[in-house]
Amino acid sequence: MPDKIFLHDYKTGKRYSYNQLLADLNALSNLERYCYKQDLYTIFLTIIAANLHQIALVLLDADFSYEELQKFQINATMLAEKEHVVPPSINSVDELVGRLIVNKDWELTLFTSGTTGLPKSVTHTFKSLTRAVRISSRHAGDVWGFAYNPTHIAGLQVFYQALLNGNTLINLFSAARHTVLDFITSFQITNISATPTFYRLLFPLTELYPSVKRLTSGGEKFDGALSEKLLDFFPNAKLRNIYASTEAGTMLEGVGDIFVLNDENCYRIVENELYVHRSLLGKGDTTSLEDDEWYPTGDLVELIQEDPKKFRFLQRKNEMINVGGYKVNPLEVEENICIHHAVKQAYVYGKPNILLGNIIIADIVSDAGITEKELRDFLQSRLQPYKIPRIMNFVSFIELTRSGKLKRT
Amino acid sequence: MLDTLLEIVNTVRNNKGLATLSDLKPSQDLRNDLGFDSLDLAELTVRIEKEHGIDIFADGFVLTVSDILAKLAK
Repeated sequence: MPDKIFLHDYKTGKRYSYNQLLADLNALSNLERYCYKQDLYTIFLTIIAANLHQIALVLLDADFSYEELQKFQINATMLAEKEHVVPPSINSVDELVGRLIVNKDWELTLFTSGTTGLPKSVTHTFKSLTRAVRISSRHAGDVWGFAYNPTHIAGLQVFYQALLNGNTLINLFSAARHTVLDFITSFQITNISATPTFYRLLFPLTELYPSVKRLTSGGEKFDGALSEKLLDFFPNAKLRNIYASTEAGTMLEGVGDIFVLNDENCYRIVENELYVHRSLLGKGDTTSLEDDEWYPTGDLVELIQEDPKKFRFLQRKNEMINVGGYKVNPLEVEENICIHHAVKQAYVYGKPNILLGNIIIADIVSDAGITEKELRDFLQSRLQPYKIPRIMNFVSFIELTRSGKLKRT
Repeated sequence: MLDTLLEIVNTVRNNKGLATLSDLKPSQDLRNDLGFDSLDLAELTVRIEKEHGIDIFADGFVLTVSDILAKLAK
């Protein structure tokens, strides 16, 4: 077969072909159980190898701090563990895909913001991870702009959609605006899946991008005005809005911000909250299931039609703050701020922001004269960058509710 | 105006460990020249709004220092 590009990564300036990928897979004889890496190609190679050999893999964000890993009870010895495998001899992409998709029970574990203040693990099987993947000759020529974190559910879904169709992936995640725009044209990208924040940051747009056939939006509240503006510059693109979660993967596809609830065996709405049936969930935590069957998503919806049921999302029921598609638990941030000896009390909340959806703010009570910069530096060693408050207000007191909890509005 | 903006820009830069700038030029690109990512830009908007009461990203997008000055001059 011609040497098709598997991945182009602007970060390293490197380009990997599918032949290179097959050669690297065929040479691997020791596989890690924990993937804690920066380089995108190495992350993809590690995932594919684990999937191929059916070795359960735990995916860790490259920016997890040592403290965060300790909380998950992951230590250096575990990170270094390797499993010996017999190197395969795979000759084609078709053969690779054929050998990946039969491992339906292969397990991949990832972390997501938990509601208690500690990130929680969710274990997916190949089957639940790729539920939304469509393999067809129609997709053979797709070129994907890769705009999500590779260790998060949305990134994994884009990765598998591309890999299982033998498509080219162009890394756009965290790329500068001009790089993204250059690459759309130079690589003739046909599909992009990203958060509304990613699309917002592409503006102002001045040129047309006719190669793009599909723009998918997800991870944050749908932005109708943004979608209309996008279509002016992506004249051949169809827009779709996806509702997904780390626990269940891709679930629903909306038209604009309206979703149709078509399968009552899988979804139901109780007291304005969307519930998902356990059959759609990854393995992992089952403690939050109601009647052992239904998982409360924490997403509040507004029913706008009865038959068939149509709804739109309103807001989160819990206090999770969405920052550009990343869910931040204010309790986790408060807990880490309060570890600093100069801090007496902290209250963390989101303030609506036009660029990112929300920006994290902290009100802090301290009588020891600490500066915002000192506290930010302290948090940098403990928390992922998007969780660190960007504005800190030093206040004399924080209002408590009668039960002694921080008052959340 | 440029002085208070310089102060705000330097606060955001210092918070992320970048050096203090001695001056700003209208042509400077917020991302390429000042080194701001999307989180930094969001922080910048909140700090400017606090100081001037104007959300610079509210009606369209700003790329350079002069884009900000134009919004503040309105």
